[in-house]
Order: sequence, then C-alpha cells, then structure tokens
Amino acid sequence: MSDKKENEFCDEKKFSSFFLNHSTLLFNYIFYKCGNTDLSNDIVQDAFIKFWKNCSKILPNRAKSFLFTIANNLFLNEYAKSTVILNYKNIPKKDYTNESPEFILEEKEFEMKLQTAISNLSEAQRIAFLMNRIDGKKYKEIAEILGISIKAVEKRIHNALVNLRKEIDTL
Amino acid sequence: MKENYFLAKWLNKELTDEELTNYVSSKDILAYKKIIATSNNLQTPKFDAENVLNTIKINSHKQKVRKLRFNFAYKVAAAVAIIASSFYFISTKSTVYSTKFAEKTNFILPDQSKVELNADSKISFKEKNWDTHRNLKLKGEAYFSVKKGSKFTVNTKLGSVSVLGTKFNVIVRGNYFQVTCYRGLVSVSYKNKTIKVPAGTSFKAENNIAEKTFAIENALPSWIQNFSTFKSMPYHFVIEELQRQYKIKIEYNSELANTLFTGTFTHTNLNLALKAVTVPLNLTFKTISDHKVRFVSE
Repeated sequence: MSDKKENEFCDEKKFSSFFLNHSTLLFNYIFYKCGNTDLSNDIVQDAFIKFWKNCSKILPNRAKSFLFTIANNLFLNEYAKSTVILNYKNIPKKDYTNESPEFILEEKEFEMKLQTAISNLSEAQRIAFLMNRIDGKKYKEIAEILGISIKAVEKRIHNALVNLRKEIDTL
Repeated sequence: MKENYFLAKWLNKELTDEELTNYVSSKDILAYKKIIATSNNLQTPKFDAENVLNTIKINSHKQKVRKLRFNFAYKVAAAVAIIASSFYFISTKSTVYSTKFAEKTNFILPDQSKVELNADSKISFKEKNWDTHRNLKLKGEAYFSVKKGSKFTVNTKLGSVSVLGTKFNVIVRGNYFQVTCYRGLVSVSYKNKTIKVPAGTSFKAENNIAEKTFAIENALPSWIQNFSTFKSMPYHFVIEELQRQYKIKIEYNSELANTLFTGTFTHTNLNLALKAVTVPLNLTFKTISDHKVRFVSE
C-alpha cells in the first residue's frame, strides 16, 4: 500500500495527464497495425486500465514502453487485421486557384496511390514511417517506444520510402 | 560495412538535397518529396481522449478493490464486541404476549405458572434467569396462577404486586388498578405503601383513591369464564370493557360516565351483553354499523 503512494502513476491526476499525453499516439500506433478504429479504441482503453492496475510496479522511465508493450500484447491477443486506410486532411480551399483541373485530379490520384502503398507496407515499416510523418515523432522516440535501436528505426523508414516509391510507380 | 539509410537521414534533415544526389537521381528526389509532402496531409481517425479517459476512470473505480487489513488485536476486539453484544441482546431479550380487542389468551411461564390474558392486554418478561427473578410487566388485565417458588412480581405503571405462590387477578386500565386475590396472600405496593391482600379480598385504586374491599365469591375472575362482573363500577369502565371484549365502538351520553354500575355481561353474545348493560339504566341501543352501537335514553 505504501509503495503505491510513492509511485506517481497511481495518483489520479498524474495518471490523467499521462493518459492525455500518450493516448493519441497509442491509438495511432494500434491503428497503424490494424486500421480498425473501434479495435484501436478498445485496446487503448484496456491498455490504460491494465497500466492503472499495475501502476505501483511501473518505473517512471519505462512507463511509456511498458504502456506500448501492454497494448501490443492486447493487440496480438485480439489480432484482426484489416487494411489500414488513412484519411487526408481537408485542406482549406483557396479563394482562387491556379491549379488546373487535371492537376487536381492527378493529386487525388496520387493520394489514392499513396494510401494503397502505405497499407501494403510491412507493419514495422508502416508504424515507423507514420509515427514520424503523422505523429511527428523523432527517430529516438520511436526507437524507445518500439524497444528497438535508432538504427533499426532509420532502416524501417528508409525501406518504407523505397517501397512506397516502387509501389506508387507500379500502381 | 555499416549500412547507410540515406533516405531516413535526409528525411530527418541530416542530409541536404545535394548530398542526397550522391545516392539517388534528382528525379527520384522529386518523387520522394512528393510522397513526403502528400503523407504530411495524412491523418488518423479522430481519437476522443477525454471520453476514453472517463470510461477508464469509471471502469477502474469499479475494479479497484481495496483490501482491508486489520491487525490481530482489532480482530480479537471485533470478535469480542460481537460476541458480547449478541450475548447481551439474547440474554435481555423480552418475551412478549399481547392480545388485541375481542381476543383472550393464556400461556405458561417458564416456571409452569399460568397466565390468562384478557383482551387488549400485554405482558412482557425476560426468560433469562426466570427461576430466580420472576418479574414481569403488565398492561391491561391478567389472572395469574403462580407456582410456589421465589418472589413473583407483577410490575404495572400504577403499582406492583408481589407474591410467593398464589392465584390472583390484576387489572390496570387507565387510572384504575385492581388486584384480587383468589388464593394465598398477595402483597401490593402502591404509592410507597405495601398492602397485604389475603385470599377472597380485593384491592382497588382509582384516580389515586385506594380502598381494600369485600370478599369475593368466585373462585376465578369472571372474565375467565367469559363474563365481566362489575360491583359499583363507573359506567365508562363497563363500556370500555364491553368495547374491548367485542371490538365495537359505543356512543353514549357522557353524563352517565361516572354512574355506578353493578352487573354482569357475557363475552359470547353481543345482543345479550348490550341488553345487560343498557336495561338497568333505562337505555336502549341502536346498531349503527358492524362495529358501532349507540345507546339512547328511552
């Protein structure tokens, strides 16, 4: 009981702020794996509940990777992969445009091709690439979360770009 | 040889575009730039963090179980407290016998003494240690046939009656208190005085006026034989007893309330009983409903 008090993650306020800081990334991480919004939501919820229950055992510097490990294990237990389909942001339309309709069409086409190419990437490459692109995470942080070396993250991202380029060309 | 992930380095701004041309063509660089630019517009489905957090809090509150830990001393103290208090409740539990209107009962006390309880009366006593402490509380009217033994006491709000072994009747109705002894000797304590009531006599007190009265002829109180007998009793007392025995309501002229009445009515026939209490006073009765009777002057 006493050791529980000492651990910051057992405090409800600390837990809440930890949650708000990391839940979106965790949600995206699971979504990159499975492409299923409901499943991702469920796993985030279950992972944080498990995290909360084990709050007294968590070392502060291992908290984040512990959280992602829990989520990964939950995901493996409930493996149901569907194609990962990402949406594009609705970029506000300019009042005027110099872009020709052909150009806009080409852009649309390219976006579709990229979506398909991303969903055809290997899971490892997709996660590393999208964590960098969408979540804006540095390689070091991705390495920490996935429990791999920075070198390995670079390899995944490099190969992701190579594969995307190949894939888009063949589509 | 160390692998060189130049695209990753370039993406991370560790390599410039010029440096990248050492590895790939400028056409490739344009293609990669396009991939990167387009991928910057990608987004994941909306994640409602606040909502999920609330769900988690609700769930984890449900699941959070705190173990209660007591040290040994507390356990012993709790056990002792439970045993002691339950023993207290069991040992001081009162046994209660009561009757409603138009109801009589009889029962046997733990020492085989017999009690007859008249209508609308109540007796309570503690069975624990009954053999040495024969005490009971009475409200209403009861006839006791007490086995010989230790002192037997009937406590009422108007006085107490103590005996060693005898047969006697006690009435406590409103301000009327009467003890009639049928056998042996009864000791009545009333207003700090002790009055001995021998067999065949009666002690009565009404509105603080005590008197020791006449010998009685019967071997048993009349009510046990399903009669109520009155000798020079106020009429309201007779009416109250009639109401008790038949569970009825009687309306009568209140001027008659203190008129003295001598007579008897039965507990088994309402019509006869009503005649018995009305005819001597030149009254007649009208039945208004099942439970209501009015007495009127002729």
